Amino acid sequence: MRKGSQSEPVFMKPAIFITSSVLVGLLFAFQEWLSIHHMGYRLPSLIFFESWGYQFLVWGSLCWLLWHFFSLQIQRASILRIIFVFLPLSVAISLAQQMLFVFIFRNLPLNHSEPSYWRRLSIYVYAELLDNMLIFWCAFGLFRGVGYYQRFREHENAKAELEVQLANAQLAALRMQLNPHFLFNTMNGISSLMRSDIEAADTMLEQLSCLLRLSLERGDSQLITLREEIEFVELYLAMQGHRYSGRVKQSVRVDPELYDSLIPSMLLQPIVENAYVHGLSRTESAGTLILEVQRRGNQMRVTVMNSGIGLNPTSEGDAHGHGFGLRNIKSRLKLHYGDDSRFEIAQVDPRHVRVEVEIPLQYSPESTKPITRFGTR
Amino acid sequence: MIRTVLADDEVLARQKVRQLLREIRDVDIVGECGTARETIDLVRLTHPDLLFLDICMPDMDGFDAVSALSSSPGGKLPHIVFVTANDKWAVRAFECHALDYLLKPFTAERLQEAVQRARDRLVSNKHQDSSTVSNPEGERYTTRMVFKSRGRILFLSVDDIRWIEAEENYVRLHTSAQSHLLRETIGRLETRLDPQSFLRVHRSSIVNLHYVKEVKNEANGDAIVVLTGGENISMSRSYRSRIQKLMTVS
Repeated sequence: MRKGSQSEPVFMKPAIFITSSVLVGLLFAFQEWLSIHHMGYRLPSLIFFESWGYQFLVWGSLCWLLWHFFSLQIQRASILRIIFVFLPLSVAISLAQQMLFVFIFRNLPLNHSEPSYWRRLSIYVYAELLDNMLIFWCAFGLFRGVGYYQRFREHENAKAELEVQLANAQLAALRMQLNPHFLFNTMNGISSLMRSDIEAADTMLEQLSCLLRLSLERGDSQLITLREEIEFVELYLAMQGHRYSGRVKQSVRVDPELYDSLIPSMLLQPIVENAYVHGLSRTESAGTLILEVQRRGNQMRVTVMNSGIGLNPTSEGDAHGHGFGLRNIKSRLKLHYGDDSRFEIAQVDPRHVRVEVEIPLQYSPESTKPITRFGTR
Repeated sequence: MIRTVLADDEVLARQKVRQLLREIRDVDIVGECGTARETIDLVRLTHPDLLFLDICMPDMDGFDAVSALSSSPGGKLPHIVFVTANDKWAVRAFECHALDYLLKPFTAERLQEAVQRARDRLVSNKHQDSSTVSNPEGERYTTRMVFKSRGRILFLSVDDIRWIEAEENYVRLHTSAQSHLLRETIGRLETRLDPQSFLRVHRSSIVNLHYVKEVKNEANGDAIVVLTGGENISMSRSYRSRIQKLMTVS
């Protein structure tokens, strides 16, 4: 991710950075003044503070420019680049700094009366080039450290954001069970069946419990195996099958090769729910719902196709907030996979809508083996 | 008659089981209890065939009651069906040879399954067919398994498996009512199953010979295994000699 201005540390603002640099210089000046004074020499005090102050003013400005234009290169430089680019650069910049400093500050050395510019420069280069290079490498180290810190923070932030998103998805899943479309209709269905068909009412209650149990078990894992996600969707489909009493022909086809691949948890259910709420529930006639998971190169492609009404461009749906589920999916895909995922909702013909999701194929390092035991009597 | 005891600390939970069991003609409820201690006493007193046992009870848990009962001298342990709202004890229940594990809430059909299992077991105990066979490593072949499928815990007897289909690292077990997907390879499963009953007929399928109706030959030398339910399972040439051997023997 590119360095955003909001993540730039406050001490890298030019005024603050250059002022602190000058302050460091003044501290050195104070120490040198003390030691010279202690040894009994008498020199004008101002000269220390002026020379060290200018020295670090020039360094501060140069380093800030370096940060401003090259911080990314510094933070990403490989060891070879450091040796072949930044080592020569450190000599060049140290020289440039001294040329500038000598140009600005003409009062030194003290006991030479008005020497030429080049003469003074050569005195400085012999005396201080290594010290200056050291300052350059300190700044270099600081900038790289800031880079590490920023990446660490970005990583932490992304993680925190994912957690928030997952919490939202879980909330949404709960809402799925608690919203009028689902929980109350299911309960009403059970209530009605209790009078006519106790067995069916029992079955629906059991399925509702299984669904709740599975979603509680998920806990806070971000990625689960496709197998687990499909199991959840199958239960959801079984319940919807009861509610629509066979009016909707459901078909789930999964490439078995993909059972163990990872998928963000609660990704498929909202898509299927959407197919019911905005497609299948709006027609009287028989409908179809097809869920397919296939492999496409290094990607897993999930296709959900449903009959019903097509996409309405002036859909009043958003007013009902139905876009929430799909929007949430899009943002979670973006957070998990960046630009490596694809989400598309399209009307294939006036009576069919298709949602396609593609995510990179990933497998969990250790397969979570669900409880299965074998025994003899 | 299957003499049955119900143990659950919740009155409503007992009521549900009682009402459903009353509709089954060969089940006789000989007693009900609300604590583990009462359960132990009642079982010692009545020697039931079947015990529906809750796991979370106020004094001890259901497993404590089972171990107390099995350590008591002379007492024959009834077949136990655990009834609980939590699935976390399923493996433990399976390992202490429970008959079944019902997750609350359960359906009437699921309870009937458990009773049927008890019925089968009681019959087979009478016949004493303890001719368990072992595979070459000396382990006994699997006769029952526990797994989770679509939110339910299932204690499946391998006799109920009609055929098995490989799906990469998974297998699909087909029973008469439904199919279950398990994370297990068909090769590993094959070694656990008694070859007297289960035959590999294809790289990706095993059939239970008890459900095979006929084997039809195809023109190209391959064959098709037809099960009693009408399913056609193709058989590859390399596996064909094995079934022929078995068929000439029988």
